[in-house]
Amino acid sequence: MRFSRKSLGIPYAVFLVIFVAAPLLVLFYYAFTNGQGQFTLRNFTHFFTDPNTLGTLYYSFTIALVTTLVCLLLAYPVAYFLATSGLRSQSVILMLFVMPMWINFSLRITALKEILNLLEGNLAMHPFLNAVVGMTYDFMPFMILPIYTTISRLDGALCEAAMDLGADSLQTFLRVTLPLSVPGILSGVSMVFLPAMTNYVVLDMLYNSTYIMGSLIGSYFAAYNWHGGSMISLILLAMICIFTLLTGGEEDEPGRGGALL
Amino acid sequence: MRNIYHKKTILSAALAVLLLLLFVPGNIQDKVPGIPGSADLCLQAQAEETITLRVCNWEEYIDLGDWDEEETIELPSGDIIGENSMVDDFEEWYYETYGKRVKVEYSTFGTNEDLYNMLTLGDVYDLVCPSEYLIMKLMAEEALVPLSEDFFDTGDENNYFIRGEAPFIREIFENSEINGEPWSRYAAGYMWGVTGLVYNPELVTEEQVSTWKILADPSYARRVTIKDNVRDSYFAAVGAVKSDLLSSEEFKNDPDYRKKLEKEMNDTSPEMIARVEDWLKDVKDNVFSFETDSGKADMITGKVAVNFQWSGDAVYTLDQADEDDYTLCFAVPKESTDIYFDGWVMLKSGIGRDPEKQHAAEAFINFLSRPDNAIRNMYYIGYTSVISGGDDPRMFEYAQYCYEAEDDEEETVDYDLAYFFSGDRDQTDSEFVIEAAADQMNRQLFSQYPPADVIARSSIMTYFNDEQNARINQMWINVRCYDIRRVPWWSWTLIIGAVVILGWFLIKRWLSRRALSH
Repeated sequence: MRFSRKSLGIPYAVFLVIFVAAPLLVLFYYAFTNGQGQFTLRNFTHFFTDPNTLGTLYYSFTIALVTTLVCLLLAYPVAYFLATSGLRSQSVILMLFVMPMWINFSLRITALKEILNLLEGNLAMHPFLNAVVGMTYDFMPFMILPIYTTISRLDGALCEAAMDLGADSLQTFLRVTLPLSVPGILSGVSMVFLPAMTNYVVLDMLYNSTYIMGSLIGSYFAAYNWHGGSMISLILLAMICIFTLLTGGEEDEPGRGGALL
Repeated sequence: MRNIYHKKTILSAALAVLLLLLFVPGNIQDKVPGIPGSADLCLQAQAEETITLRVCNWEEYIDLGDWDEEETIELPSGDIIGENSMVDDFEEWYYETYGKRVKVEYSTFGTNEDLYNMLTLGDVYDLVCPSEYLIMKLMAEEALVPLSEDFFDTGDENNYFIRGEAPFIREIFENSEINGEPWSRYAAGYMWGVTGLVYNPELVTEEQVSTWKILADPSYARRVTIKDNVRDSYFAAVGAVKSDLLSSEEFKNDPDYRKKLEKEMNDTSPEMIARVEDWLKDVKDNVFSFETDSGKADMITGKVAVNFQWSGDAVYTLDQADEDDYTLCFAVPKESTDIYFDGWVMLKSGIGRDPEKQHAAEAFINFLSRPDNAIRNMYYIGYTSVISGGDDPRMFEYAQYCYEAEDDEEETVDYDLAYFFSGDRDQTDSEFVIEAAADQMNRQLFSQYPPADVIARSSIMTYFNDEQNARINQMWINVRCYDIRRVPWWSWTLIIGAVVILGWFLIKRWLSRRALSH
């Protein structure tokens, strides 16, 4: 058999089939069957008629939205100044922002829990605020890195041209830099928003007793109801697909900072 | 579920060492001290046929050995110390006693639900240790192998289980039935306990913790915790909702009290579920957290004042607090308490019809039930063994060793444990009385061996069928989820506004990109 470069893809293809395609099929099977293995749409209709599941969707959506906004507002200036300052120690500073990612997640949240407890007196009094703080803390690097990569790759000549044509620095930023960094923002948003809807470990550790989507799925599985749990996972998957379709299609996807993580 | 924190460190260290050992070549192993003759063990094992026994138990629910010298438990009938892990000791004992090699493949699970899911997904074990409700479920599904007749032969001196099981526990196991068959036919108890409340006596009075209703009491807003599982919460809720009935003299003096109590506590009628749901919704707005493990630490660090707890973990919590010179107590509400068991059962899928394997599995239960081993496990994990020792005095000696008051103790109380050690509930002049320090009445001794009056008002929580389970699980989801009808109008406005702006921006961008690319 002749060895071609395509054969190098075989291990990954096998991996994809076993760990991505096969579980997806199982997910579909469970989502559209009932306990007796018969086809049913009940799981689907149940999700959209039960005020509790819809409420959970709303609650997770709100947490995720607020988290994403806070992340964006905090991360953009950081990424902007890092990328444009021309500091020689740029990469060191960037490292400082990424470093928390190298420490175990549950350890970080436990530390955060103690700090919040000191500040608030009783953690359980502000569950929503804690959830947003915890998620922001956890997902911030995912927002900084793509924006940083996009801005640092911007052609400086564009800004100079704008200046030459009489724009002041604010106008340059608003009409040149900001629009050109949108791909980075979108990439950051999708990396923060979607996990924030399901990452219930943060909520559990910070004593929020209200479920978000992830905890709801978990409770279905704990109650041996794999059908309802699979349907919720599937609905989330569909939402992610729609979101990606809308934001996707970017020609020059920024590196997403994967190398550093 | 019923875990102990600091043991985790030991466990992980032990596992790390084990892992390392796996990669050490055999000839080096010979020279490592502390692994006596591991090489000849291997050789012999190859020479003879070895029985493999796959055991699955709760995490940190067995003695792993390696105690310090000063941890030795000195009893009148001899010293007890855990040098090797219980599993290693069993393998050696089995060879010495029955002349056959057995290899235990030991694994662990975190919750009953995890174990059940593992079994459903096709993991095969011979011997597992779930809680009573999963035992009942497995019995109902006919997944279990009954214990053999030999296992119940009190004449055999190696049958430590049947010779040492506490009489009142045997009574429960024989009288609790599922599909007409008693638990005792399939299950051998391991550890037991009751549910109650750990509390801080400086903040809460005994009167206040005497009822489950405290969990919804707004004067302790965000200072109480409840378990993050539907069964335990359901039990507490039923106790609180039916508090007046359950604590009335009339009900308590009913000749059929225990039967009626069990019926009331396992009430899953739709009306009851609706009332429980309302109560738990109040609790949700009142608790610090729904927890499975963190409650112990939150109690010790003073974050909460009252903590719904299993008695075994209560002992651990109180011990830890004592080390910090911080006093906590344990109480069992007056309405009722859930008496729970973890027990060994053999699985059809693993044992099959292999008599040798079944013999090894039953021997494993017996070995764990030998009083010195039961004491080692109790010391290590903090729970209470179902073994009272029978003719062997060591179990009671261990209780005395732990709780008998010092000579200079000023105030002492006679604590009667006859119900557990002799099975005689009415005996007053008993040899099984511990002269304990007066403050032990609501502390470790009380949690480890609840007094007879607590046992009298205890109820088992039966196994619910699929339909009941579905209703209760739905109730739990209703409690934990956010009801969309409660969303305020300003929140709707903000969210819809944000979504519309975002959607408009994305679609515009998408359209312009499409126009560009054409």
